[in-house]
Amino acid sequence: MSDIDPITLEVVTEGLISVVREMRATVFRTARSVAIYEARDFSCGLFDAGGQVVAQSEDIGSHVVPLPWSVEQSLAELGDDLSPGDVILMNDPYRGGTHLNDVTIIYPIFDGDRLVFFPAVREHWADVGGAVPGSMSGTASEIYQEGIRIPPVKIIEKGVLNAPLMEVLLSNMRVREERLGDFNSSLAACRTAERRLAELTDRYGLDTLLACVELNLTRSERRMREKIELLPDGEYYYEDYLETFGPKGFEPLLLPLALTIRGDELTADFTGVSPQVPVPVNSTLAVTAASVFITLKSALDPEQALNHGSFRPVEVIAPEGTIVNVTHPAPAGSHGEIRKRVIACMLGALARACPDLVSGDIHRTSFHNLIGGVDPATGKEFVHYEWSSGGNGGFLEADGPSAMAAIDWGDLSTAQPTEVLESRFPLHIEWSRQGTDSGGPGRNRGGLGMRRALKLTRGVAKYSLLSDGAMMPPFGILGGESGAPVNSFVIHPDNSEHHFASPGKVGGHTLQAGDTVILQSAGGGGYGDPLEREVERVADDVADGLVSRGTARNVYGVILTTDGFADLEATKVQRDQLRAARITVSAVEDDTDAYTPSGPSKKRVLRLNPEDIKHAGLVDGDRAELLIGDGAPLRGWVRPDATVAAGRVPLDPLGCRALGADASASLILRPLLVPDPGSIG
Amino acid sequence: MITLGIDVGGTFTDLVLRDSVTGTMRALKTPSTPSNHAEGVMNAIRSTGVAPSEITAIGHGMTVATNTALEMNGARLGIITTRGFRDVLVIGRGNRTKLYDIKATRPEPLVERRNIVEVDGRLTAAGEVHLALDEDQVKLACNTLAEAGVEAVAICFLHSYINPEHERRAGEIARVALPGIPVSLSSDVLPEYREFERFSTTALNAYVAPRVGRYLRSLADELVAEGVTAPLSVMGSNGGTWSAAAMAERPVNSMLSGPAGGVTAAVAVASMLSENNIITYDMGGTSTDAALIRGSTLAMTTEAKVGMWPNRAPQIEINTVGAGGGSLAYLDAGRFLRVGPRSAGAEPGPACYGKGGTEPTVTDANVVLGRFLPGHALGGTIELNVDAARAAVASLGNELDLDPERTADGIIRLAVARMTATVKEISVMRGLDPRDFTLFAYGGAGPLHAALIAEELGMRRIVVPTMPGNFSAYGLLAANTRHDLARTRLMPLAQATLAEIEAELAPLRAEANERLAADGFTSDHIQISCLADMRFAGQAFELTIALPENAETIEDIATAFRRDYEERYSHADEGAIEIVCLRVIAIGESEPAPLPDVQGGETLKAALMVHRPVRFGDATVNCPIYSRTALPLETPITGPAIIEEDGATTVVPPGFSAHIERHGNLILEREA
Repeated sequence: MSDIDPITLEVVTEGLISVVREMRATVFRTARSVAIYEARDFSCGLFDAGGQVVAQSEDIGSHVVPLPWSVEQSLAELGDDLSPGDVILMNDPYRGGTHLNDVTIIYPIFDGDRLVFFPAVREHWADVGGAVPGSMSGTASEIYQEGIRIPPVKIIEKGVLNAPLMEVLLSNMRVREERLGDFNSSLAACRTAERRLAELTDRYGLDTLLACVELNLTRSERRMREKIELLPDGEYYYEDYLETFGPKGFEPLLLPLALTIRGDELTADFTGVSPQVPVPVNSTLAVTAASVFITLKSALDPEQALNHGSFRPVEVIAPEGTIVNVTHPAPAGSHGEIRKRVIACMLGALARACPDLVSGDIHRTSFHNLIGGVDPATGKEFVHYEWSSGGNGGFLEADGPSAMAAIDWGDLSTAQPTEVLESRFPLHIEWSRQGTDSGGPGRNRGGLGMRRALKLTRGVAKYSLLSDGAMMPPFGILGGESGAPVNSFVIHPDNSEHHFASPGKVGGHTLQAGDTVILQSAGGGGYGDPLEREVERVADDVADGLVSRGTARNVYGVILTTDGFADLEATKVQRDQLRAARITVSAVEDDTDAYTPSGPSKKRVLRLNPEDIKHAGLVDGDRAELLIGDGAPLRGWVRPDATVAAGRVPLDPLGCRALGADASASLILRPLLVPDPGSIG
Repeated sequence: MITLGIDVGGTFTDLVLRDSVTGTMRALKTPSTPSNHAEGVMNAIRSTGVAPSEITAIGHGMTVATNTALEMNGARLGIITTRGFRDVLVIGRGNRTKLYDIKATRPEPLVERRNIVEVDGRLTAAGEVHLALDEDQVKLACNTLAEAGVEAVAICFLHSYINPEHERRAGEIARVALPGIPVSLSSDVLPEYREFERFSTTALNAYVAPRVGRYLRSLADELVAEGVTAPLSVMGSNGGTWSAAAMAERPVNSMLSGPAGGVTAAVAVASMLSENNIITYDMGGTSTDAALIRGSTLAMTTEAKVGMWPNRAPQIEINTVGAGGGSLAYLDAGRFLRVGPRSAGAEPGPACYGKGGTEPTVTDANVVLGRFLPGHALGGTIELNVDAARAAVASLGNELDLDPERTADGIIRLAVARMTATVKEISVMRGLDPRDFTLFAYGGAGPLHAALIAEELGMRRIVVPTMPGNFSAYGLLAANTRHDLARTRLMPLAQATLAEIEAELAPLRAEANERLAADGFTSDHIQISCLADMRFAGQAFELTIALPENAETIEDIATAFRRDYEERYSHADEGAIEIVCLRVIAIGESEPAPLPDVQGGETLKAALMVHRPVRFGDATVNCPIYSRTALPLETPITGPAIIEEDGATTVVPPGFSAHIERHGNLILEREA
């Protein structure tokens, strides 16, 4: 193997990546559904006989990174019984899939009778049956409502299509001709790969090809190991929440992550996570593990092409039957939210291990907004679907970018042209701007979220929202503040407002002509202490309308003159005052009553002396965070407890670990900064 | 009667001179003068020795707009826009700028957010006035921008593609309020829908306008001072020339001025050779450009970008990769071998230039393999330093544990792999088989690698045109004048009539005729064609099709669309069809500038300069080196051979044969 010269290795690698690019072009040219050839909601990959990713191109991370689990599961179930001419179809979330709409075709390629490669294509099929058109229901309580489940099956066996099976599948999906088109485009892409791999094999010989594949995997593994090795060994911990609403209102679900770094290996352990729930907040092991990898790759090694080698030093532990490893029969449609929250936990834990390499939290949700109805002007149904991205977190070198797709989203566009929407739908976009002050304050500010106003111009329509992060905003790190949370509400023609009882989760709210829906995507978390931000940058942000004068004064401590310049003298005084006004408490190790459980819901309790709570401007049940200047803040719900000494906060060992705090460490206590939900920026 | 084509590049200013009486041509290169390109252009003109009064036309390729945009040293820009929409340019389409990178950032903005001012005034998608333009707010906006010291203004209102009145009125106010400051209206620059792309194109136009205007004015002044009275025309990205005055107004159309010259030249030569399907391959110092011409028609695109900024001005679809003769070969941080996009640039240049470069480039690899004649001048004035090239390649070879020859061969193979991928993107990825095309290789380094590219792609035929190092300048002589006009109109085909379509096209045609008349064309030299951007209802992307000239019913248009659609996407579709945008392409035919017949030398033997050892793959062969200008016509040379000329070297590897045809073009053919 070592006799492969580096030139041949690079040329063959370029050839393998080119195979995947050509698969992609084939899908793009031959697919029939809009979601695929316009939104490009599909991915292609090339796998080796062991099911490892060998090559991929500019695909959607949320698709392609979980693909190996599908291939692995298919191999486990069918691997001993595969022959040339077999083609596998699958979408089962419980067996290596993501959500039911992501239908995957896996195409074994043989050299003689030796299995050598699997090209695979994952396409988002616009409908796979289930309760609602489009199959993604925000109210599903069982997977049966989300569409038809396809375990790994041979849809083509030795070159012969299993027509009865195909008929069963298509009979359970809406717009069957389009679904058949989706299938055929995936198949065409795999056939293209087969031809090109044969050409590469003819030219270089199979042994050389496979040796190059292994060398690539090995060097990616080596590189990831080198990157992990550079991180300080240790046990890191972070916890975050998914949001549900029950009879008692907000019921957060705990997502804890124990991250262990030992030498050149890393383990992400989600033990202790909330059990799965009969609402769409669950996702699969493949999605959870992929999100761990996406974060590591994006933080540690952004430069290199992605292959399976870089996954090898990483272990992911996600207990079965939980929101991060869903099992039968819970709904599994919430990959967008679990992905974002796993990424958040990874950022929170890594913020302590390698603060230079990560950012504040990213906008927390895929923010699926739907406005649909019948347009009285045409008599036809319409559905406007929008997924405006929000702010990204600030990081060591720069402010987080505003309104930009997150790291798990590949090259998806997240902003749609107003001129197209207004020509197509009975909608008038009144404004579409970055939300002033929505970026988490910090030495490097989080990016801003979007603020959009969509007015229904005629008829009646329904508004739905499937999102998360409306209650728990994106966190800042190293002292940075939270970005603005997700929100949406309706303004009626008489200017009265309708706010939703379950922010972030709206099902079919009726809109009348003249009603305006206000959409607010989340901001990004800040990086570093806002009092350390250069005064000129704060003044620039105010001049550009990204930060208000009030926030400049009250959060950044920067006093501006009437013509917009910083008053350095007054700023120094203000910053000293703000710093002095911070409330510090010291940790006491004590693991009684660390969480309040309530059904699957579980939340951290911060027991504090009533005087401290009052002093901090908090009341019983308020959300607050503790921080120590580095890493990410630990969030919880304050509870007055007269048995706790003033100036103290009991913390269980996990809480101490999250903060990297010894017993008696001095911590800052601050309320969770959540802007007034009615403020429209 | 002399016409000149002058192409300004980063290092050299290339000139081709044509005597329109005798039809003879001459090529020369002079150094560029980056601090003021006009000076280099004048030097080039003076070096021809032609009397200024004899010059009747000048075609010019320039990089001022592109460099201004890429180097971000354009105007301090102000934008006046619709209330509620100041962030259209900031947010764009909300795409991530770099995948799998937590630290992705957006590029520096063309305009500071504080200099984007919103005003009241709103149109609907039908072009009706929803809210009247508040002219007082426009005046206030102009005052704000004047105080901010802006040097150019773009006016970008929603739905102005269908009703430009608000923009025009705001433009009038701005021109009065801000005298001497160029004002670009989005409805003028690109009257097409989708606000981000239109605003971006308009902002780019305004951003580069002051510099391009200054440059073209100073060049015109110098020409007059020199006594040259010939009109100056500038090559546009659309493959046609523009009057200097028109280009100064819409400089965003000159972003591809340089490479478009080469593609235009290839089209002209291909037609002389009766080659209908060609792929151009233009390899220069830092990058390689490829374009595809099918059935003698250029592939056009409206989806190009300048840096990260969409530029929807119609332009030739040219695919560029950062691999050229000066591209460096190196091990990256992960110890992966890379060729480009890092480049040695003009300073220090490749190691073989002897100006202190120590890292190997693609050019150095060619030196090590013996593909240049020692003592032979590279690009005119630079003497080859073989030892320096060898030392640079050897040091990389040491790290890879390879000898210098294998390292050099590998560098070239990797560069070829990257360039091949670029050609694939415009052919294979579009469902077109490159084996059905002839490769047109030019640019300083194109002829060196053309055969390797052809081999990779299974292409059988290569044309290395005459004057390959000055080919773009030749294209400037051969180009027609071209105006692209467009008007967005959403029309469901089922409800449209031919008369309605004609009613939209007629004003576009009238304007096109007017513009060409202003350029001095008479009707017998004007060609007008009509096109439409169409799609199936519900799709978000359109396909541009030529409207059938003698359509009798709407169904004829639908049929043409379905046919093109099926060809593009390899499958038929059904459903309602709609027109999104109507287009007119107006061509003013220039005097043709055919390549004259050449004499050719007497015998191959007379053209043979020397034999020297040259490495091909693992073997070193004693390879004949020929002088291109001395080669006899239609006399095949069997590879391996190397053919030398001023400014370019053609490698004919084993398995290829080569001959000169009667216009002096070198044809390489791959043996079966």
